[in-house]
Amino acid sequence: MAKKIINEDINDEIREVLIEEGAEDIYKCYQCGKCTSICPWFQVDMYNFPVYRFSLETSMGMVASSEDKDELAAEIDKIYRCVGCDACVTQCPHGIDTPSILRAARRLLVDFGSYPETLKSTAQKIKNVGNPLGEPAEKRADWAIDLNVPKFQEGMDHLYFPCCLPAYDSRIQNVAKATAKILQQYDISFGILGEKERCCGEAIRKVGAEKVFTEVCKTNIKEFSGSGVKNVLVSSPHCFTTFKNEYPEFGADFETLHITQFLSKLIDEGTIKPSKEFNKKVVYHDPCTLGRKNGVYEEPRNCLKCIPGLELLEVEEFNRNLSVCCGAGSGGLWMEWEKNERIADVRLKQLIDTGADIIAVACPYCLQMFEETLKSMNLEIQVLDVTEILYESL
Amino acid sequence: MDIIVCIKRVPQTAEAEVKIDSTGKDIEKDRLTFDMNESDTYALEEAALMKEKFGGEITVISLGDEDAEETLRIALAKGADNAIRIKAEDFDELDAFQTSQILKSVIKDLSYDIIFTGCISTDDAYSQIGLTLAELLEIPHAALVIDFDANEDRADVQRELEGGLIEHLDVALPALFTIQTGINEPRYASLIAIRRAAKKEIQVIGKDELAQSEFISNSTLEKLYVPPISKQVEILDGTAAESSAKLAGIIKDKGLL
Ligand code: SF4
Ligand code: SF4
Repeated sequence: MAKKIINEDINDEIREVLIEEGAEDIYKCYQCGKCTSICPWFQVDMYNFPVYRFSLETSMGMVASSEDKDELAAEIDKIYRCVGCDACVTQCPHGIDTPSILRAARRLLVDFGSYPETLKSTAQKIKNVGNPLGEPAEKRADWAIDLNVPKFQEGMDHLYFPCCLPAYDSRIQNVAKATAKILQQYDISFGILGEKERCCGEAIRKVGAEKVFTEVCKTNIKEFSGSGVKNVLVSSPHCFTTFKNEYPEFGADFETLHITQFLSKLIDEGTIKPSKEFNKKVVYHDPCTLGRKNGVYEEPRNCLKCIPGLELLEVEEFNRNLSVCCGAGSGGLWMEWEKNERIADVRLKQLIDTGADIIAVACPYCLQMFEETLKSMNLEIQVLDVTEILYESL
Repeated sequence: MDIIVCIKRVPQTAEAEVKIDSTGKDIEKDRLTFDMNESDTYALEEAALMKEKFGGEITVISLGDEDAEETLRIALAKGADNAIRIKAEDFDELDAFQTSQILKSVIKDLSYDIIFTGCISTDDAYSQIGLTLAELLEIPHAALVIDFDANEDRADVQRELEGGLIEHLDVALPALFTIQTGINEPRYASLIAIRRAAKKEIQVIGKDELAQSEFISNSTLEKLYVPPISKQVEILDGTAAESSAKLAGIIKDKGLL
C-alpha cells in the first residue's frame, strides 16, 4: 500500500536524531533515481527496493515509522536489505552516502533490539566470544598448526590477520594456509596473534551495533599496540577497510595492506615469479569493499596475470567500479533471504556466463557466499581465492 | 483491559563460553551480552496484542539492577505504557520465592485484569515466579500457555502438556498466565516508539518503599558447577532391520519423537 504523507506525519525529531547518527547527506538528494537503478537489488527482479526514497523519507523523519506491526516489519526488512556495496554512492551525482543514511536508522533499532534475530545472534557471538561463528578463541590458530606459523613478536615486519572465516571455516582456512605458505616461501617476516585475535567488527558496525564494534575495535588496538604491531597484512577487504579507514579514529597507529597489494608489489619487484602453468580460464570478481570502497582494482588482477597459462576474463560491463556485490556485506552474509531474492544468484550468473572455469575472489565473504550458492547448482565452476591460485602456480 | 508483564534482563549464554566466577555461585558476566528473557518477549507481545484489541494500559515490572532499565525501555518501545523497576541492588541473593513475594508487594496495589510472565527464565530456569506470584495474589493461573484469547472477564487459553497433549481452559479474570515461546511473533519497535520510550520515566522502587520488609527464603544456592562430561555408547547389533527396530524403540522410549 502506498504511504499517504500528510504534514502531521513528518517527524522533525526523528530526522534530527538520524542526522546525528550519520544521515547528514539527506538534503543533497534531488530524487534522480540513479541509485535505485545501480543497486544490486534492482537486478534481482523479484524485489522492489527504491533506494531513492531513503533520503526523502529520512528527511521527513518517516523511517521505520509504521504503527502497524507487519508494515513496520516490512520497513525494517528494507533497512536491512542494503548490503553496503556503495554502488549507489559512486553513481549518485551528489555522492550521497545512502548506506550510512540507513545505518543511522539501524543504530537506533539495534539499541532497542528491533533488528533481525540472525544479526542479533551474530552481534552476540562477536561480543561474547570474539567471532561471528561462535567458535572458541583457543581454536583460532588451529589452521596454522601444521605450518609452524610463529606468534607475532615485536621486531617482526608484519602481523598477518586472517579474518574470522579463514581462521575457523574448514573450507576457507585454505586461504589462510595458502597465504602463510606464500609468505614463508619468500622469507617474509611475519607472525599471527592466534587466540588473541578478535573479529575486526566491520560488518557488525554496518549492522548498526556500534557498541559491539567500539568494544572489539578498542580491544584490537590495545592488543596490536601492546604487541608492537606496525604493519598488518589482511586477507579480508572488510578488515582492510576498517583498519585503514575507521580504526585511526579510535587511536590506531599501524599500516594495513590487503594481501593482494603486498603480493602484487613482490611480483612487480620480480621477487615472486610463478613458474607452474595454470591452464584455466579465470574470471576475477571485484569485492565491493576492496574495489569500489578502496580503489584496489589492479593488484589482485596483477597477482593472476603473472601466472603462466592463466587466461584472465572480465564480466562485461559489470567489473571494477561497476562490479555487482556478492550480497554478503553489511550483515548480508548472515541474512536469510528467499531463494529467488538473492543478490549472489545475480552475480554468479554474470560470472558463470563469462565461460570461466574458475571464479577468483579476494574476499572471504565473497568466497563463502559464492560457494554456498553454488552448492545447490551442480556446476563444474570453482571458486578460489587469488592467493590459493597463486600458491598453486609457485 | 489493564495488563501487567513481569520481565527479566538475562545474560545471553547460548552463544557464549560460560565460566563459573570466583564466588562459585554465579557465572562470569563481564563479556556477555544481555537481553530481555526470551519467553518474556512473547509475554510482552501477547499483552500488546490484547491492548490492540481492548485498549487499556500495559505496565512492565522488573526486579533488577540499573541496567534492567535498558530492558524496561525496550518494553516501553514495544507496547508498554508504564515501567517499574524494583531495585535489586537493595537485596542480597534472592531465591524464586523471595522474588515472587517482592513482586507481589508491588503488584497487589496496582490495577490489572491480566498478568503475563514468561514461562521460564533462560538464566536460573526455576519456572516458579509466575505461579508463586499468582498464588500469593490469590488469583487463578495457567502455565505454559501456547494460545491465548480473552474477553472482558474470561480468558480462553491452551496449555502445552507433556507428551504433546494440549489442555484447553476457560479462566476467570483477573488471572496470571505464563507464556511459552512461539505463541506469537514479537514485534519490532518503530523509531517513533523508540524516541517516545527514550523519554518516558521509569518508576524506581527501593526496598524501604515496599509495604513489607521481610521476605521468606525457602532455598539457598549452594554452588554452581559445570557437570562432568559423561559418555554413553550403545552398539546395536543384529541385521539392519533388527538394529533399526531397536533404534526406533529407543527413540520412542526416550520420547524423542
Ligand atoms: S542518486 Fe543520489 S541524488 Fe539521485 S535519488 Fe539517489 S541519492 Fe538522490
Ligand atoms: S549500498 Fe548497495 S545495496 Fe545499499 S542501497 Fe546502495 S547500491 Fe543498494
